Amino acid sequence: MNRPSSQPATWDREKQNYQARLARGAALASGRKVSADDIVRLLEAVIEPGDRVCIEGNNQKQADFLAKSLARTDPALVRELHLVQSVLALPEHMDLIEQGQVSRVDFSFSGQQAGRLATLVEQGRIKIGAIHTYLELFGRYFVDLTPKVALIAAQMADRDGNLYTGPNTEDTPAIVEAAAFKNGIVIAQVNEVVEKLPRVDIPADWVDYFVKAPTPHYIEPLFTRDPAQITEIQILMAMIAIKGLYAEYGITSLNHGIGFDTAAIELLLPTYAAELGLKGKICTNWALNPHPTMIPAIEAGFVQSIHSFGSEVGMERYIAARPDIFFVGRDGSMRSNRAFSQVAGHYACDLFIGSTLQIDLAGNSSTATKGRISGFGGAPNMGSDARGRRHASPAWLRAGREARPHAVMPRGQKLVAQIVETSREHMQPAFVERLDAWDLAESSGMELPPVMIYGEDVTHIITEEGIAHLLRCETPEEREQAIRGVAGYTQVGLARDRRMVENLRDRGIIRYPRDLGIDKRMATRDLLAARSIKDLVLASGGLYNPPKHFRNW
Amino acid sequence: MNVKPINYFEASARTRIACLVDPESFTEFCPPELRHISPHLVRLNAPVAFDDGVMVGRARLAGHPVLIASQEGKFNGGAVGEVHGAKLRGLLDKALIERPVAVLLLVDSGGVRLHEANAGLIAISELMRAILRTQSAGIPVFALIGGSCGAFGGMGIVSRLCTEVIISEQGRIGLSGPEVIETVKGVDEFDSRDRALVWRITGGKVRRALGDATRLVGDDIGAFRAATAELLDKHAGRPLNSSDLDDLTAAHSNLSIRAQRYDTARDGRIIFQEAGFTELESVALLPVDDFNRQLEGSP
Repeated sequence: MNRPSSQPATWDREKQNYQARLARGAALASGRKVSADDIVRLLEAVIEPGDRVCIEGNNQKQADFLAKSLARTDPALVRELHLVQSVLALPEHMDLIEQGQVSRVDFSFSGQQAGRLATLVEQGRIKIGAIHTYLELFGRYFVDLTPKVALIAAQMADRDGNLYTGPNTEDTPAIVEAAAFKNGIVIAQVNEVVEKLPRVDIPADWVDYFVKAPTPHYIEPLFTRDPAQITEIQILMAMIAIKGLYAEYGITSLNHGIGFDTAAIELLLPTYAAELGLKGKICTNWALNPHPTMIPAIEAGFVQSIHSFGSEVGMERYIAARPDIFFVGRDGSMRSNRAFSQVAGHYACDLFIGSTLQIDLAGNSSTATKGRISGFGGAPNMGSDARGRRHASPAWLRAGREARPHAVMPRGQKLVAQIVETSREHMQPAFVERLDAWDLAESSGMELPPVMIYGEDVTHIITEEGIAHLLRCETPEEREQAIRGVAGYTQVGLARDRRMVENLRDRGIIRYPRDLGIDKRMATRDLLAARSIKDLVLASGGLYNPPKHFRNW
Repeated sequence: MNVKPINYFEASARTRIACLVDPESFTEFCPPELRHISPHLVRLNAPVAFDDGVMVGRARLAGHPVLIASQEGKFNGGAVGEVHGAKLRGLLDKALIERPVAVLLLVDSGGVRLHEANAGLIAISELMRAILRTQSAGIPVFALIGGSCGAFGGMGIVSRLCTEVIISEQGRIGLSGPEVIETVKGVDEFDSRDRALVWRITGGKVRRALGDATRLVGDDIGAFRAATAELLDKHAGRPLNSSDLDDLTAAHSNLSIRAQRYDTARDGRIIFQEAGFTELESVALLPVDDFNRQLEGSP
């Protein structure tokens, strides 16, 4: 034993530091409660230079008051921060960087700030550690990116500081778990302080401070799609998806990406899919936000369960009235959890289907465009084969057999489908020889082009031309021609080898609507189970209360 | 027989006529094959339509002879240009010769076509004068409003000149559109993204409650047909006497009372309240039949 006896080892430096921070904050709080007027000074008191800070926010709820308050702190005191958070979506996040208070960011998604972020990176004013998927970033919270200070958003607190996060629980449990158990400071902004909470989502002794924000935290109704805007092309693609993919593989567990393409599928379940006799055979169990366009399918008895990443504005009463379908607490309101729903989407779902902006000849897809660093969010976790999966299902086994017909060891594969119109708005082709992601990676000094879903994970591409079963291709050349074969009148599509494409069609790798027995003339808006937001309200029996800018009555 | 409702809001101008009038009774004047296109749009290198966004013709509805026009909201927002306006005005002139039971205008328009500037403005003023002339010849003019463009600008005025206004809940009547008001006067004056507010101010229900529309119907071409047929029955054989001075004086005094009463109103809620609706928040979701029952049952 050579340990010097004069200097006993210290194993609780972090804890001492945590207590010192609390001591500095004590004068500004009464118990855990801080007044909105004191919050800037409290942040200055408890944050130290170089801290890893997580400002909670996602594509739905945002700790916007705490973000604003942090942007008002003295840059001499609050500086060299390392932001570790899901999104950089608020102007205040960028303000902090512009004020020189942030030295590094690790994040997942930047949404509306994508352009400003790209500029700041090109000017060398901020260093990006990495752009993650949600699950990946949550993982790093427990390894090398544990937040020292977590600024979170809850709906209500009681006087002790217990929190109710309710339907929009989202990322909160993952963030608080990492910070609270690793000597981090947890500060919550709440919309209201009440005597008794509907239920406790985060216990008070994981929370150090809470503050009642002057205005409720902002929530974006991100997943609401007005059926009035769904086009006949989208309806045709939805028919192809239902008949050529869902019915073909018997897909029961799935996740839908955001957008009108998937909304069209949801609205065709009670009509087209029901006519095909698919009720109870497909689309029963979901990892999905509470899309309003799911209401007709739920009401028609198509759906058995939905676990959600977050909630959706206006769906609260409907969800509460359908506890057999959604995950609802003993108090009657839903609880979401992004981390768990991402895990569910990755490991427990047989299919992910989503839209994208660009697909290259290898099937790599990306939403990146030059001059915008928009990040990933959760799609790469949904849209990739779960190599750690060990439970079998008929759809998963069949996909595995098709993808590796000659493999000795049987193994399944996740179905990952991209659904795109061959041309986007302004006649921009969805199919390209080279992704814009390469240019963005060069101009922003990224180590990797930001690819949302890698070609090797994509099993199907659906366009208005038809469906390409990429997993059935045997060579990269076949794969390329299968993609060209559904790329329509884009340059990529026009350059197809007609003979090879016909061969792929004969082998069932490419299937056009007529090969699937789909009459294109049937693809009209009459097939939609709801043609307007109002139809959704009526289908919900008046329980769905859409945000006012979605109403036309 | 189970007839599937056909959405009026989403239907094209041609579908609306086809489903509204008696089967195979429609004859189109100046049909698209004659290619009466806008000379102004050609000069601007802008897309043209062979019917210039409006179809006009003769038909029967529930057996009554009518002249009918239908604006295509999906072509330049149904906006009135020189040719478009001339077709409408010509239809009304023809009414003086043919004397149908009524002229039906299926309005779906944001107003004057800005590309055509003065020509469009002149077309609208000619149209207004033609409506008054038709009515003073004893022939009623009906406006049917239920398309996505509503009846705005000059077509808002034209609609209010009509003898009968049949509107759906989705239909709107106004002068300047919400976006225009917001652009000129700011978001505090009118938040055009607050769609519920837009409909509480310009939408079918509030226009019916105010008396600007004479019928409120569901968003179904069959419902428009039924209401139109009923009003045609009412007017058939009873020539309009629109120059009755007492009627005009009464209408004017009602308008000035209304102008005073709602002078400071900022929201259609107060109009529903005065019309006798008690649960103001639920008016928006009230089915059309219930709305009409409550409105007509009110004192």
